[in-house]
Amino acid sequence: MKRKHWEPGGGNKELRGRDEWVRISWDEALDYIADGLKDAKENYGNNSILAPTFFAAASNFFHNLLSAYGGYTFLEDTGSFGSFWFAHLYGLPPKGYEGANDRMDLRKAETVVLYGGNPAWASTGNRTYNMMQVKKAGANFIYVGPEYNVSANLFDAKWIRVRPGTDTAFLLAVVYTMLKEDDPVSNPIIDWDFLNSYTVGFDAEHMPADAKLDENFKDYILGKYDGQPKTPEWASEICGTPVEDIVWYAREMRKDKKVSILHSYAPSRCNNAESFPQLLMAIAAMGGHFGKPGHSCGGMHDQQAGNCGPPLVYAGTNYDMPELPNPVDDIIYAPEVWDAILEGKYNRTATLTRDLNNEGMRDIDIRVIYHVCRDALAAVVGTNKGIEAHRKVDLVVAHTLSLNSVAQYADIVLPIATQWEIQYDQGYLRQTSREFQMFPSQITEPLYEVQTDQWIGEELAKRLGMDPKIPFPVSLEQRYYDFFAGAQVINEAGTDYENLVTVTEDDIVWWNQNVGKAEGKPQQGRIGLKQLKEVGFYQVPRSEDDNYGHISYEEFVKDPGGNPLSSKSGKFEIYCQSYADVINGMGRSKIKPYPAYARVLNGYEESFSDFDKRIKGDYPYQIFNVHYLRRADTAYDNIPWLKEAWTSPVFINTQDAIEKGVKDGDTVLVWNQYGKILRRASLTNRLMPGCINLPNGAWPEIEEDTGIDKAGGANTLCAPVATGIGVSGYNTNLVDFEKYKGDPLTPDHLWPLRVINYL
Amino acid sequence: MALGFYLDMTMCIGCRACQVACKDKNNLRVGILFRNVHNYETGAYPNSKLYHYSSACYHCTDAKCVKGCPTGAMHYAKDGTVQHDDELCIGCQYCVWNCPYEAPQYIDELNIVKKCDSCKDIRDAGENPACVDACPMRCLEFGDLDELRKKHGADLVTSIPILPTSSSLKPSILIKPRSYALELDFVEKEV
Repeated sequence: MKRKHWEPGGGNKELRGRDEWVRISWDEALDYIADGLKDAKENYGNNSILAPTFFAAASNFFHNLLSAYGGYTFLEDTGSFGSFWFAHLYGLPPKGYEGANDRMDLRKAETVVLYGGNPAWASTGNRTYNMMQVKKAGANFIYVGPEYNVSANLFDAKWIRVRPGTDTAFLLAVVYTMLKEDDPVSNPIIDWDFLNSYTVGFDAEHMPADAKLDENFKDYILGKYDGQPKTPEWASEICGTPVEDIVWYAREMRKDKKVSILHSYAPSRCNNAESFPQLLMAIAAMGGHFGKPGHSCGGMHDQQAGNCGPPLVYAGTNYDMPELPNPVDDIIYAPEVWDAILEGKYNRTATLTRDLNNEGMRDIDIRVIYHVCRDALAAVVGTNKGIEAHRKVDLVVAHTLSLNSVAQYADIVLPIATQWEIQYDQGYLRQTSREFQMFPSQITEPLYEVQTDQWIGEELAKRLGMDPKIPFPVSLEQRYYDFFAGAQVINEAGTDYENLVTVTEDDIVWWNQNVGKAEGKPQQGRIGLKQLKEVGFYQVPRSEDDNYGHISYEEFVKDPGGNPLSSKSGKFEIYCQSYADVINGMGRSKIKPYPAYARVLNGYEESFSDFDKRIKGDYPYQIFNVHYLRRADTAYDNIPWLKEAWTSPVFINTQDAIEKGVKDGDTVLVWNQYGKILRRASLTNRLMPGCINLPNGAWPEIEEDTGIDKAGGANTLCAPVATGIGVSGYNTNLVDFEKYKGDPLTPDHLWPLRVINYL
Repeated sequence: MALGFYLDMTMCIGCRACQVACKDKNNLRVGILFRNVHNYETGAYPNSKLYHYSSACYHCTDAKCVKGCPTGAMHYAKDGTVQHDDELCIGCQYCVWNCPYEAPQYIDELNIVKKCDSCKDIRDAGENPACVDACPMRCLEFGDLDELRKKHGADLVTSIPILPTSSSLKPSILIKPRSYALELDFVEKEV
């Protein structure tokens, strides 16, 4: 469909988001889009086309089509992982993903730290069930974070409360305490052998060869460089953690305890959090909690939460089409993208996914915004600025399953077939867990006039004068076949992979007659092709004594020289020159090569106009965003049953609310200089005073006259600013709130559905 | 012996998969819930705790909804569960008023009441109710309460303070409570 007042060149751009819609044919829509792309390329260059999504493989439609057409401007987003990007430079796995042990080994731990994270809400499926088996095996759980969440509550975890974005201060004081209390004879806390053999940069005697700065981590902790020892008393003023809890946590990290530290990415989705991942690593190394049964430190994120290790079964991967190189090297970080459109310039820094070149300020003239796969207006920080940027360009296209935010503000909206309407694995269903793989099937004929991203891409390629085989050399039907036939499963010895699927000549004939047109060859595997298609999944059974266990860093710990880590020295770099050089070269904010405290942009201290005198500022409350079970980030926030089940309130500390006269269920206005939202209040004693928790992912419903977002979109309040790596700092924002004086909100599930009434 | 639900509150994460699976099985519009999850907070900051309680029809063995039904629409099935015959229902809502658990739900567009039938059709086919199989934490079960009591130990209760006093109805339920779900300072919360 097309926005009524859009015409080539943009038409009345101001009406984006509030215009009426006109139903048009696929041919018309594709012609408009092809003409818009041609116009942008010929008049303004390929870099005037922006595709503000990320992870090319999640939807290689736009990437291959636009790359074949001469390229496009790419949106770089730290997204889920925050400041863990570049973690490989100091020795962790890329983005700090993986790195802990598998679920069977986890049961050997005595202490499990959930550093941030809420698998019950953020890693659905059986992750929480599996982690409960760790609890039942006898481990004590610790939860670190500003809110005692559902998972912490389930595990009866000890709550170590830390304000959003202040984890660096908290952990520095943990290091200080470990150093102060350690006595190799009478009170062995620190594993000095581990530090000396497997890390560099901890103290002056173990500096890496490439260090440019004559400073080390230990002396920084003791206050040698800034006169401030990083004591629990110092940290407590910032992070809000009671001094006795900091000391208790430090003692719990001791070397003679089996400790597994599982981190989420909530503490890294903060401004100025560049030291956090390196510091978490340093503390795990101080306790020697790497590479041994029951000891680990690594990620707890979606499918690998509580169950790290290489996959035991995985779908065929050669169904992914080869990624074409993008000839345009304009890459803009998400928090800076709306400003880039509005102001016509941006800082081209080292990137997450392409090159490490810092090129400085560049001019940019975005004319087309092409949305595929991701609802960037709801998902990128600074929704109101994003809307302003959308109202500037000539053409906005959105491929979408439903009328989400980017569709609302687009000119041409293309309805896309869901997973259930086609024989194809779309992105995320391929990621299930290391021991379980889904093989989804079409369950209904496509509804109405939906098409696939790839069909649209092929049609556009023709209109742009390209052979569709260049961007899309493999058909969807072939990719679906390869997804099955290429699946691999671990052998019983746990040493190598073998084919999962047995395919006969008859199977290939059957597939072509009943499923789709595909070429294949007979092969021997464990399960017949027809049977797998029928069952829809394959699971590798597990037991505690099987051959599939996984202990991260085991090889490195056995032989650090023979199995070096990804860092320059091959060891855990507590001082990492290459990391500091990359971040400091970007020019947003400076870091030390070792973990060090930095004042956080829009962090706790900035909630005061005068921190030393503790005088609160205009926006005295810290707000953070959690994953919410009503939706998956911004996907599917339009399901009435789920809206009824999950009301999406804003969570406020009970005492803070009472001081403002706010009761449970009251509609509250939460605002800052970037936006205003309404939500119903849920008062809780499980949240630190001064903190507000607004679940992420709601589709903004912004009233044009008041500017109020009635749906409570998290990014309506998130500042479109960036520090360090260019992190989308979802969890470091400041707001004020009050009881709303207007009409109270109706519960979300009673709102009209977001559907179009055509003219 | 009586058939009923068992809920392990020590495993429940309040995800509402049971609630939504029930809506799917029974194709219920927004506003009608045969199974519902409520959340309660106890204690003061920073030692506050949360618990979740998933409830549906209790299939009481002395059910007021059956006693009060003027047409016999609400009745006992042979297996002892409380069932509802839509054909006999006149929409008088006596059962709605009689049930302290809010299990019978009046559907105004049909002018009849409906409620959880413990997925009798699925059970008759040898499987579990939809809510039981949807639970990712495996904290719901349905079956013979004597057997469930044997299986899950002695520290089970048939009521907790958030529930109405209703022992006279003999609800067919077994609950493994969180310790703090027995405290009296609970406050219901939106989560």
